[in-house]
Amino acid sequence: MGTVGDAVEMVDVRKTYQIGEPVHALDGVTLSIPRGSYTAIMGPSGSGKSTLMNLVGCLDTPTSGTVSIDGQEISGLSDRERTTLRGTTVGFVFQTFNLMPRLNALENVALPQLFRGVSREKRHERARDLLGRVGLGDRIDHQPNELSGGQRQRVALARALVNDPAIILADEPTGNLDSETEADVLDLFEEFHDAGTTMIVVTHERHVAERAERIIHLLDGEIEWIESLDESNSSSASDSRGETKGSEMGSNEGAIDHNDVARGDENGASTSDDGGR
Amino acid sequence: MRPLESLRLSWRSIRGHRLRSALTTLGVIIGIAAVIAFVSLGASLQAGIIGDISPDDQRNLYGWAADPDTEGGPLAGAQFVFSQNDLDNVSELEPVEAAYGYATIDAQSITYGGETRLQGDGLIAAGPSYIREGSLKEGRQFQMGEREAVINPAAAEQFDENVSVGDELEVTIVTGGTETLTVVGITDSSEGQSPFEGFEAAPRIYVPTDPFYVDQAVGPAAGNGDTDVDNGDRDVRFIAIVVEAPSADQDDVDRTRDAAIAYFESDQSDASEFLGDDLAVILQTSTELLQQLEDILGLLQNFIVGIAAISLVVGSIGIANIMLVSVTERTREIGIMKAVGAQNRDILTLFLSEAVILGVVGAVLGTALGLAVGYLGAWYIDLPLVYPFEYVVLAIAAGIGVGVISGLYPAWRAARTDPIDALRYE
Repeated sequence: MGTVGDAVEMVDVRKTYQIGEPVHALDGVTLSIPRGSYTAIMGPSGSGKSTLMNLVGCLDTPTSGTVSIDGQEISGLSDRERTTLRGTTVGFVFQTFNLMPRLNALENVALPQLFRGVSREKRHERARDLLGRVGLGDRIDHQPNELSGGQRQRVALARALVNDPAIILADEPTGNLDSETEADVLDLFEEFHDAGTTMIVVTHERHVAERAERIIHLLDGEIEWIESLDESNSSSASDSRGETKGSEMGSNEGAIDHNDVARGDENGASTSDDGGR
Repeated sequence: MRPLESLRLSWRSIRGHRLRSALTTLGVIIGIAAVIAFVSLGASLQAGIIGDISPDDQRNLYGWAADPDTEGGPLAGAQFVFSQNDLDNVSELEPVEAAYGYATIDAQSITYGGETRLQGDGLIAAGPSYIREGSLKEGRQFQMGEREAVINPAAAEQFDENVSVGDELEVTIVTGGTETLTVVGITDSSEGQSPFEGFEAAPRIYVPTDPFYVDQAVGPAAGNGDTDVDNGDRDVRFIAIVVEAPSADQDDVDRTRDAAIAYFESDQSDASEFLGDDLAVILQTSTELLQQLEDILGLLQNFIVGIAAISLVVGSIGIANIMLVSVTERTREIGIMKAVGAQNRDILTLFLSEAVILGVVGAVLGTALGLAVGYLGAWYIDLPLVYPFEYVVLAIAAGIGVGVISGLYPAWRAARTDPIDALRYE
């Protein structure tokens, strides 16, 4: 599929967990995230942020509806294909860094390429280069426990970038950092965004979310409203949810919204196919 | 993922838990070491014994009379039934080359050139051909009826001045008196000549049964030179005999055996008066005698290999257990690896190789330890060392097998871990 379509497209996505009674973690979410954009996702706990993130990260499949990542519909993929897509298309940054404890910075950054069968020299060359770009060129042989929180998160960011992914998916990336290192990491995010990577940041901190171009507010498994930060800080959000969905389709960026509508129809058809399986 | 990379990564996590990994492999080490040690000892023992059977010895039949149901090596339950008369008659049989009695005479010490050496093993009395011409380094065989002896190098060299052919030895007999022997030959090896003696190297003195055994058996060696013809021969009974076949060919040996046994069981033999349901003549070649020994050895070895196999099972359970702990402990790492694109197969390979490494390391160390123990044991009981190399290969294979079997379930569990849960795991 390559560069066709948006980085993320979701049409009427529902995710239901059976915990005694059915719990609708996502309840009919439709959204599209264009390539090269910088999107923040906010919402109180239980709003469906994690579920949304798992779907975008190809870690999970929807109960119904369609999710396309980098132009590929994920519910039709096998576990193995989803893993491959995840490895090549999505780079994860976690709140708790999630570095491999016994590997040094260089090996941690090179890890995703290990599973793609890239040779040791090539992966280490690439990892060294990326560690240089996040300002850790002199820390390549340090183990995670020898690095500060900010340094660890920069290693994680370098690791997320190593396969040159279409999307960087960050889950509370600054949750464990002090404000100074937080600013450093967010500056790096901006730097990579400027270089063309699609950034998606899940956070509950307003000032972190404000670095993005727009903020998707989730509540109770639905999109509450979408706040665009491009033109000043005018949060021209409407109150009702119906209008919210409308505003997502209609008012943000004209060109993309056209695509949205067209694609939404196609995907609607494929959703009914899914239902028939 | 490349296989070498997964090995490297697995090795890394094993090294991350040195003590735990070492203790885990201990079960495998002990099991494999036990097998290798006992197998190499057994092989050395076999080689030591079989290597001692000279081709000449293979035509000798060693005989005694015992309850046919008695088990246990040569001479177990043997009775004194064979008379010199019987032996003379057997030697006359057509398929028999020679037949003579075998006995040990308790001796206390030997004196040569003013020096006295203890000789606890005593003298070995037999027929002249008991010492083969081919196994003489110097001199000749002793003759029946003469006070002559053939000695082995260990006996000759125990005196400051080596004994040589023609010298005389004074032997103090336990039952009283002394005997003077003329050394007429020296053998080429200090190891035993037959399974009756055992095969280990020791100072030995071989003498003719007549006069030495005959005199001893009848009573205290009264007069030296003059053998009282009337008295001796008929009453002397031997507990052990040697019957020689014309060649080592199995058919010849069988014919000789049949003829000798037929004679002993016939009424014309002196032995027949004692023989019956609970006393039969047993005639066996060294190889057959050793076969029994080997059977016992084999049984013992199987027993120990069985115990070692149990130890290997315990070892596998140990590895499986520690791998399960490791999988749980590293749930988050599994989540990370899956998030960055590790396939289920990669995770499976990773944990499986960890278990296999533990198994193989255990096998290699166990083999080394087992060979060392086998070497020490063989050295201690003075045996030629034989390394059972096919067992070394088998041990490594067992190590891999143990690793795969014990690692399969934990690795499968690791592979199927849900990355979402794993990433949330604390």
